[in-house]
Amino acid sequence: MNFSFSEDQVLLRNSVRAALDEQCTAAHVRAMMDDERGYREELWHEMAKLGWLGLPFPEEQGGAGLGLVELALVLDEMGRAAYPGPYFATVVLGGLGLQLGGSAAQKERWLPAIASGQARASAALLEDGLDWDPSATAATATRAGDGWRLSGVKRFVPWAHVADVVLVPARAPEGLSLFLVDPRGAGVTVTPMVGIDLGNRWSELRLADAAVPADALVGPAGGAGPVLDTLLRRAAVIASAEMLGAARRCLDMSVGYAKVREQFGQLIGSFQAIRHRCAEMLMEVENSHAAVYYAAWALTAGAEDAAMAASICKSYVSDAARKVCGDAIQVHGGIGFTWEYDLHLYFKRAKSLEPLYGDAAYHRELIVRGITGA
Amino acid sequence: MDLNYTAEDVAFRKQVRTWLEHNMPRHIQNLDERRAWHRRLYEAGYLGMGWPREYGGQGARPMEQAIVADEMARAGAPAPTNGLGIGIAGPTIVVHGTDAQKRRYLRKILTAEEMWCQLYSEPNAGSDLAALRTAAVDRGDHFEVTGQKIWTSGGANADWGLLLARTDPAVPKHKGITCFLMNMRQGGVDVRPLKQITGSSEFCEVFMTGARVEKENMVGRLGEGWSIAQTTLGYERGGRALARVTTYASQYRQLVDAARRLKRNGRPIVDDAITRQKLGRVWADLEVERYGALRTLTMLERGEHPGAGGSITKLSYSEFEKRFMELAEEILGPYGQLTDGVPPEYRLEVDTAIGDHGTWAYAFLWSRAGTIYAGSSEIQKNVIGERILGLPKEARADRVGGHR
Repeated sequence: MNFSFSEDQVLLRNSVRAALDEQCTAAHVRAMMDDERGYREELWHEMAKLGWLGLPFPEEQGGAGLGLVELALVLDEMGRAAYPGPYFATVVLGGLGLQLGGSAAQKERWLPAIASGQARASAALLEDGLDWDPSATAATATRAGDGWRLSGVKRFVPWAHVADVVLVPARAPEGLSLFLVDPRGAGVTVTPMVGIDLGNRWSELRLADAAVPADALVGPAGGAGPVLDTLLRRAAVIASAEMLGAARRCLDMSVGYAKVREQFGQLIGSFQAIRHRCAEMLMEVENSHAAVYYAAWALTAGAEDAAMAASICKSYVSDAARKVCGDAIQVHGGIGFTWEYDLHLYFKRAKSLEPLYGDAAYHRELIVRGITGA
Repeated sequence: MDLNYTAEDVAFRKQVRTWLEHNMPRHIQNLDERRAWHRRLYEAGYLGMGWPREYGGQGARPMEQAIVADEMARAGAPAPTNGLGIGIAGPTIVVHGTDAQKRRYLRKILTAEEMWCQLYSEPNAGSDLAALRTAAVDRGDHFEVTGQKIWTSGGANADWGLLLARTDPAVPKHKGITCFLMNMRQGGVDVRPLKQITGSSEFCEVFMTGARVEKENMVGRLGEGWSIAQTTLGYERGGRALARVTTYASQYRQLVDAARRLKRNGRPIVDDAITRQKLGRVWADLEVERYGALRTLTMLERGEHPGAGGSITKLSYSEFEKRFMELAEEILGPYGQLTDGVPPEYRLEVDTAIGDHGTWAYAFLWSRAGTIYAGSSEIQKNVIGERILGLPKEARADRVGGHR
């Protein structure tokens, strides 16, 4: 039993932090807010060179063959930097989705391209009703010649506007199925949905009888349920890691500010009202750390309680990050409410991930089903 | 990172489980029976496991200690006795005591031949423990102790007390305190039970009027008492964390069973969406406490001490316990308030932290104590803020001058 990072894991975290500290400064995050694509290609290719884009893929597909603990470490750091770009969408949603459900040919087509920085991907897991349960999927797939035609509306698809391929669940006559869709293909419309976190871009993906070829089907027709369940759990845990990083940053900024800001002739950190709030924030961050890395380990190791740990992680961290990042604004006072001060970058990153991949309430219900069996 | 237990630890766990199956008493009626159970645990090598072998310990790894505590919690085993002897007084003597003190006291703590209590808090020195006023006056060959202590758990049965008393009222308050081992069985010591909101009296008040402490029973040097108390507070905290969560989990399962039987608005409470959300949250919080316990154990296994990090653990679990018990009360309704005449299906079948009172009402009331004893939540937050986050101390009026 060892709940600490290995030397390699510490090295990975340090190198990710160093690279992001240098290339993903707050100034960079702000510059990307006004950028049409929302991210910088140079940094993307740098990430390919550093091996981040293929991190969880097998070596034969250009990856590093690492697990979810390592992936969580990377996203933890990206949350801390409020990194703007399609990393999560590409590597976690698209990449892990293909790795879990894709055929040998599909993996060969996409994973090396992702790992080398040539392709970006995403997955469209949500529709207008916002139910994260994959069985709620309403989009349809009908056979058309050798291929399929897809119809439906997907919402909040991360980074679809720059993706080369999007995993799209749709209901075929055989049942819930998964397809690879070219977002620039005929019958597909991508419309931006601009949220408060301008570093995390969403789109609506509208499919109007969009034709996809036979080899766009991922896994057997009607057999997508288990892949989507697994993908959702992994996305939930890795998104929690990103929220954790953002929360940690908010805590660090609050503590730093409380040590320099004076009111009533004293440093505000000497007031228990502030100090106690910061202590609670640290407790939430430490508990979230335990929840994230336990779940990441459990999913990688195939532990008996892996599914439960994933839901525990997402529900706990969603609540904790909201509290920590919100309290950070309170500790800062007025300056924390200004656009100019950087705190809102991290506050918004955590907030934008809070409802995604199952919000706290969704996962709490899964927890109770796991316990009561109903 | 590998959160699987090693084959060695799995084997040890199995061994402990088997031993408990064969040796655990079903019910403990009185102190003599608890002492007998305590001795059996000691003889099996399951008590004072982390203490050095030369003083009757096992020199065991933190993981082995945690496994024993965890298996006892899983089996609902009665607690041993002399908790403050084993948890506080003994470790204090191990670290700060003289050779003579170690030889004289340690083994009898482990065997519960001599029972111990902790004489720290006073009516006007709670969170501000260093404000204590009990005086120990040097009378040449001994010290004479006068003052009042409160919240002395196990005081009624104690043979010895680990005492903090003021030996120099002229220096700043943290510097004038000395640590002693005091014989409780003497004329100058009057122990009175303190009835708590639970209706029970696990705690006492202790009145000392010219009580005698031999010079050889001073621990450490004169004026070192505060720093000694700081290093030995919460010695056993890390090792018990896993067991605590296992006890919570056992209580939680009983709560879910009750939620299946009880009804609200015509359907089982367990099917009520709002209750399900609350149950889900408590289970998540409970498991997060378990993950935290595994993190602490990792540190202990590497020979690191959590230090002020222990304050995060304590704050987290004690606040959690209140939320948990509030949910239990909400689900159980008036059943949750019964102290007697409890229908069997609404009993709490678990040995609680302090005794073996099997009611939810008792567990609920006790949950209010956790955020006060051993440093209130407010004190823990000060420790976290100052020692971990490095936030400035508040302006205080008591760091200078003498203390009378």
